[in-house]
Amino acid sequence: MTTRRLPVYILLDTSGSMRGEPIHAVNVGMQSMLSALRQDPYALESVHLSVITFDIEAKELFPLTPLEQVRLPEIAVPGSGATFLGAALELLIDRVDRDVILGSPDRKGDWRPLLFIMTDGSPSDLQCYREMIAKVKQRHFGNIVACAAGQKAKEALLKELTPTVVSLDTTDIASFAQFFKWVSASVATGSSSAGVASPTSLPPPPPEVQVVI
Amino acid sequence: MANIIKLQTVEGQPIEIVDEIIGSGGMKDVYFSPDKSYVVGFFREEQDAQTKDRLLMITGRYRQSLFENAGGDYWKNLFCWPSAVVEFNGRIGVVAPTYQRHFFFEFGSRNDDFLGIKGREKEGKWFASANNQNRFLDPRERGDWRKYLKICILIARAVKRMHAAGLAHSDLSYKNVLVDPTDGRACIIDIDGLVVPGKYPPDVVGTPDFIAPEVVMTCHLGKEDPKRKLPSIATDRHALAVLIYMYLFYRHPLRGDKVHDADPQIDETLSMGEKALFVEHPSDTSNRIRAKNIKPSELPWKDTAKIPYTVSGPYLTPLFDRAFMQGLHKPSERPTADEWENALVKTVDLIQPCQNPNCSQAWYVFDNTTAPRCPFCETPYRGSLPVLNLYSARREGQFTPDNHRLMVYTNQSLFPWHVNRNIFPNERLAPELRKRVGYFVWHNEAWWLVNENLPELTEISGETKHPIPIGMAAPLMDGGTLLFSPQEGGRLAVIQMVEGH
Ligand SMILES: Nc1ncnc2c1ncn2[C@@H]1O[C@H](COP(=O)(O)OP(=O)(O)O)[C@@H](O)[C@H]1O
Repeated sequence: MTTRRLPVYILLDTSGSMRGEPIHAVNVGMQSMLSALRQDPYALESVHLSVITFDIEAKELFPLTPLEQVRLPEIAVPGSGATFLGAALELLIDRVDRDVILGSPDRKGDWRPLLFIMTDGSPSDLQCYREMIAKVKQRHFGNIVACAAGQKAKEALLKELTPTVVSLDTTDIASFAQFFKWVSASVATGSSSAGVASPTSLPPPPPEVQVVI
Repeated sequence: MANIIKLQTVEGQPIEIVDEIIGSGGMKDVYFSPDKSYVVGFFREEQDAQTKDRLLMITGRYRQSLFENAGGDYWKNLFCWPSAVVEFNGRIGVVAPTYQRHFFFEFGSRNDDFLGIKGREKEGKWFASANNQNRFLDPRERGDWRKYLKICILIARAVKRMHAAGLAHSDLSYKNVLVDPTDGRACIIDIDGLVVPGKYPPDVVGTPDFIAPEVVMTCHLGKEDPKRKLPSIATDRHALAVLIYMYLFYRHPLRGDKVHDADPQIDETLSMGEKALFVEHPSDTSNRIRAKNIKPSELPWKDTAKIPYTVSGPYLTPLFDRAFMQGLHKPSERPTADEWENALVKTVDLIQPCQNPNCSQAWYVFDNTTAPRCPFCETPYRGSLPVLNLYSARREGQFTPDNHRLMVYTNQSLFPWHVNRNIFPNERLAPELRKRVGYFVWHNEAWWLVNENLPELTEISGETKHPIPIGMAAPLMDGGTLLFSPQEGGRLAVIQMVEGH
């Protein structure tokens, strides 16, 4: 493996409150993120993408897949309301342990994975969420970005997971478009600059996305 | 329709931009002029006085020294050089010519452009990767090996020019060089990061893949630390060698399979820095690209046994040796841009068209030491091939070898720089010396040199001299000798016939 892979995990909230415009906006945003990344020769060479959704359960929408092979299914919102972010992290850890290649004396490992989480609420499985945070931290992610979408998202809880929390005032097409554009720029930066001094640097977020300090 | 904003350069020239961002990079937002002939890139963040000063030098003095000399126009195709600085709403912008149209994809990717890259810039990374070449690019965008040689010549020449002016690019990489393999063109962009050694320190360390080992090894140190190595002309030379290697072989010279650390970040720093090792090092094979780790889409390029760097021929091979072995950790040993340019230009005389009409590379360096065949598609060379070994007289009547050969093929041209040792095909070449003076043909079962403009062409056999007037042809025979010109620096060619199978 002379070309290291850059694993990118995206965790998306599909709880009841995402129904309607918000989930539509996420679908549109994900599609345009994917097309943008496919136009990037660096990303094409290294990025492998996986999407996990979470509502009353966590589901792997698709496992780590080379960028050019990703076929994005329509993401739907099931009936009930809960937000099992803890379960999503649990599934994520399981997948990271299974799929991310670690360096060994005769094989180059993957780049440290990137993790993007988008939620419009707060974890319904708080205890599990907190337990998983400790485990996530042992996994050496290159970067973790959490996005608190809309007024009800709890930024403080996300801060327990990562210092990089951005917030969207609204959950409409325009703000998700900005957010996913930024995610793709971050992934693109990651894929072309992995290896230089500060691997975790992100491009500045667009003006509509506020970085929560 | 967006508004048009009228501005003035710092020097008072009028400038107009359409108020609509056409592209954003790491630092700037870029706008078109109404006629799209130039762009203005505004830095999003406030720049310090030193940056402004440097931009003024780049658009002023340095620009003049490159472009306002005789032959300055030649460089306009090779550099996208900023022409002026503007200030607007407290932000600094640079005015630069729009990239030329051949640097935008005409067809883009395969399958009717499934990636949607038509109309986008031909960033070098698309081409310097076997996987991108094989899987994604439309074959009409890919170009052949001869075009890549030409691209490398142009890049080496442009870098030579900057270095001759005492400037270092400091971030030479496929990100900052646009290439057009369909026609063998290249253009250096992102000149705003330019470094003047000793005057303006660089603000970037460079792009991964191209950062010199000494910079990688010391980039954790503070900028003021005397042990810290910053981008310079010597590090540009490393980046140039990597670029040339990548355009000719679609693989990276240092990215092999040797693992130095389980942590990818530490491993990266070691394998590009302190422990950097050429993947094709003849005696230390520990960093070879292992066959089992190669994806099918990366073949044959990543198979260094099948396409070793030595297929680039006798002039380039020793330069790669110096760049990636002797000079890898010893910057003073690295070949200069000028040496690269010379070796690349001479290599053009060694290439042969591949006889396989479907060969993706179409051209290769003819190697007559083994059974000659195309290293890319393995098609053997069939028929006889004249090789002209060139000599010139350092003293009256005493011809010594020039270490320069010319491989003949049908319609191969003979140029003034083959005829006279003192002529070199570069940007300074006078227009009348750019025209061919003869050409080669296979006709009636024999090879001929048709004399178009060699007033004193003479066939020499023993004591007899037989003039070949303009309009006539000289036969090429094994062991035969042709004197192209008896003038000072004039060359003699000794013909050697190589038989293919
Ligand atoms: N001379 C130019 N002609 C056409 N497009 C340009 C030109 N310069 C910049 N652009 C566009 O603007 C984008 C950002 O410019 P760039 O010089 O890369 O900015 P930065 O210095 O911030 O990296 C480029 O990707 C390109 O699409």
